[in-house]
Amino acid sequence: MPLLGLHGVSKKFGGLLALNQVSFSIHEGEVAFIVGPNGAGKTTLFNLIAGVFHPSEGSIHFQGQEISQLSPDRAVRLGIGRTFQIVRPLRNLTVLENTMLGAFLHTTSPARAAQEAEKVLRFLHMGNIMHLPARGLPLPTLKRLEITRALATRPKLILLDEVVAGLSTAEALALAELLRRLPEWGIGAIAGVEHVMPVVMRMADRVIVLDHGTMIGEGKPEEMVRKPEVIEAYLGSKYKELGL
Amino acid sequence: MRRAQLLIAILSVSLSLAAPLVVRSDYLFQVLFRVSLFAALGLAWNLVGGYAGQLSLGHAAYFGAGAYGLALFSKAGIHPWSALLLAVLVAVLFAALIGGVSFRLRGPYFTLSTIAFAEVLRLAAKNLVSITSGDVGLPVPGLFAKSFVRSLYLAAVLLTAVTLGITAWVSRSKFGYYLMAIREDEDTALSVGVNAARSKLMVLLLSAALTALGGGLYGSLFLFIVPDQVFSIDISVEMAIVAMLGGAGTILGPLIGAAILESAAELLKNLFHEAHLLIYGILIVLVVLFLPEGITGSLAHRLRPRSAMAAPSSKEPDTVPK
Repeated sequence: MPLLGLHGVSKKFGGLLALNQVSFSIHEGEVAFIVGPNGAGKTTLFNLIAGVFHPSEGSIHFQGQEISQLSPDRAVRLGIGRTFQIVRPLRNLTVLENTMLGAFLHTTSPARAAQEAEKVLRFLHMGNIMHLPARGLPLPTLKRLEITRALATRPKLILLDEVVAGLSTAEALALAELLRRLPEWGIGAIAGVEHVMPVVMRMADRVIVLDHGTMIGEGKPEEMVRKPEVIEAYLGSKYKELGL
Repeated sequence: MRRAQLLIAILSVSLSLAAPLVVRSDYLFQVLFRVSLFAALGLAWNLVGGYAGQLSLGHAAYFGAGAYGLALFSKAGIHPWSALLLAVLVAVLFAALIGGVSFRLRGPYFTLSTIAFAEVLRLAAKNLVSITSGDVGLPVPGLFAKSFVRSLYLAAVLLTAVTLGITAWVSRSKFGYYLMAIREDEDTALSVGVNAARSKLMVLLLSAALTALGGGLYGSLFLFIVPDQVFSIDISVEMAIVAMLGGAGTILGPLIGAAILESAAELLKNLFHEAHLLIYGILIVLVVLFLPEGITGSLAHRLRPRSAMAAPSSKEPDTVPK
């Protein structure tokens, strides 16, 4: 049984078809990347899985359970953690407190939550800044804070929305190295990215390509970058003719 | 920081309990009653407005429910203290109804809806003449037979102590962290499994119960209430300003706010008659401009500029320095 399965999922916003008949599944400990240009529907897809939106059509199963009508807080309690594309830290709380909020999912004791949060923070090399307030931290750090907060909920599946966007390639690769260790924690991951292909190539077990809400490919990363439809979506038809 | 605040707060409440050893005049007790009553009310408002960041300007609904509940249940022949407890239950029921509707809205829309609900109750109290006697008002039983004003003062200090205890617990519990998460970013709160609707409602019920107790004590001091007095938006605004002046989302803030505002209001009232409202207004403008995080919040920043304060978000641009 896959960890997550989408079957014919569509989402309409008024007359706009944001996602059209998307089907795929993710297994435990697998890292899948959803790539696609701006507006391809990546964030919509994450919002559907995380319970922010509900699909207009199709079904979403998590560990065999239908979850497409769940609210966001119920989804995270089932084990679906998420980060936000545009970082949403709790600005007046410290890095530690931000992460503790995730850990409170499994304990009522602040001391226990702090312990758990500290573990996660050290894993992402943030132990030295955990007592700083989140406001005023640089973007790469805030991106990591999104991840620690989600990881502290001890998810079985983590949705990383544009987790490397806005980072330099070096920063993105450093983050990718850490994320490659997620399966060690028994966590499956779906990450959405727009363009940082070196990260995709290095991290992904599988790549799912979206374009205008439709899946135009799914497979191993090295296969996907050779697929004509994918090249066309990314670079335009001119490059396909050139055979690049 | 939290520990220092708590220490100062406990110290000042203990000192207030000792006031009857030196204070003799009923007038002074009346002033002190107002200070400690609004300290308790500010703390109660602070749970919703400070920690959960839901700017309610309709707490007069619960305050009035406490005062009117006490008056009406006593009129029906119930013992005053039981009547006060029943009044608290009624206020909690109102809070459940008001919160159930208002919390569907966010930001300024939430605030406007709380004002509207309190106004509805005020108008109902004015117009349901057969029950409330309308603008004529209702007698309220004195809750104490002996040394009336002093006893009410001590009751107000006790209410402050209880509310302070609850605030101290909230500020370091999972519940409190969830409230602060809702204040900082409700969507982020949802994403870590916070049931925001439930948490907000729970804290409102708690706050309403404490506010109703305050309303009951207030009515009991005057022995007589009218709708425009206990259901007025002045009460709602005063509760909010006490907390915001002192520092919303802090333990000590509402105590400082109440001490400054209520004693200033009393002094200025004698000096300038009605002009005290003007000075009061100017004071509020100055605080909003120069101390947006309140006295406690600003002091804490000055003392430890990089310390994390559990203070409500100051409006900063979203840009992040690289």
